[in-house]
Amino acid sequence: MTEINYDAAPFAVRADLTAAHARAWHRLARAGAWFTGAERVAIAAEVRNATACPLCRERKAALSPYAVDGEHQSLGALGAPIVEVIHRVRTDPGRLTRAWFDGVRADGLSDGAYVEIIGVLATVVAMDTFARGIGVEPLPLPRAMDGAPTNYRPAGVKQGPAWVPWIAPEDAGDAEADLYGGSTGAHIRRALSLVPDEVRGFFDLVETQYLPGPAMRDFDREFRAIDHAQIELIAGRVSALNGCVY
Amino acid sequence: MVGDIDGDGGIAHGALLTAFAEAAIGDDDRVLAELRDRIRQEIGDAALVDSAAVAGLFNAIDRVADSTGIPLEDAKAADTVDLRQDLGIDRFHSVRQQ
Repeated sequence: MTEINYDAAPFAVRADLTAAHARAWHRLARAGAWFTGAERVAIAAEVRNATACPLCRERKAALSPYAVDGEHQSLGALGAPIVEVIHRVRTDPGRLTRAWFDGVRADGLSDGAYVEIIGVLATVVAMDTFARGIGVEPLPLPRAMDGAPTNYRPAGVKQGPAWVPWIAPEDAGDAEADLYGGSTGAHIRRALSLVPDEVRGFFDLVETQYLPGPAMRDFDREFRAIDHAQIELIAGRVSALNGCVY
Repeated sequence: MVGDIDGDGGIAHGALLTAFAEAAIGDDDRVLAELRDRIRQEIGDAALVDSAAVAGLFNAIDRVADSTGIPLEDAKAADTVDLRQDLGIDRFHSVRQQ
């Protein structure tokens, strides 16, 4: 398992959080469904680089990001459609459109690769924002492990109402039976299910950085050092600033 | 939470936590450092860790939702019609993409 710590913080960080972040870094370093470990680490590095991109800053400030042309300032390790996805989703997620999504798909990015990029990006954003919040430097990126992508596409995937295809709970076969655990499958849980390991990985972070499912709805007890109302206040403010209705 | 914040909104330390959420995903390091210190002093170190964890998680989950184009579940959309209208959430760009 990848070794990480938050020893630089002048206070204790929950051990389960540190352990979840170590698991996330370990997953990041391994080959996924559509990218090698080296490519996944390169995606993570580009996620960090995106916040300094002049084109992204210009687009963010524009009335419409689609009115500003130019080239992203990238690290050069990834193709243009991948860089476009990383930079737009990292820097201006509230103004993405279906036409933009169709455009990056038309530029040669597969739906599976797109979903895996989003999974990696979400992991890095969750952990880097946490580090910023507690006042420590972001963790060094892990060293990539050898191995080839699995090219695994679940049999139960169908096009639903989202931009990306997903596995509905009723279509989950034995290999994906764990994704929903008997729940009806909230859309956020289905969102990355085209690449099931990205669901597993991201929801490992959801359960430790936010709350496990049963704890979300258990208002008779508190599970963190801030209560349910305080948690939802922070969550709601962040989502409002990101322009996210979901 | 949408709009200008005035007071705690009936939630303990609400204004402080709201300001922290804004700073955690913003780019003003000095303001964030001040808010971090205030949370440690007024609520405690563990509260700072958990607040940062929630802010980080939702900064990520918003991106998952918006980049995959998932709509609100029908029941959730029906239950929140008035709420979304009152708070101005229906003006979000992401609503128009659903």
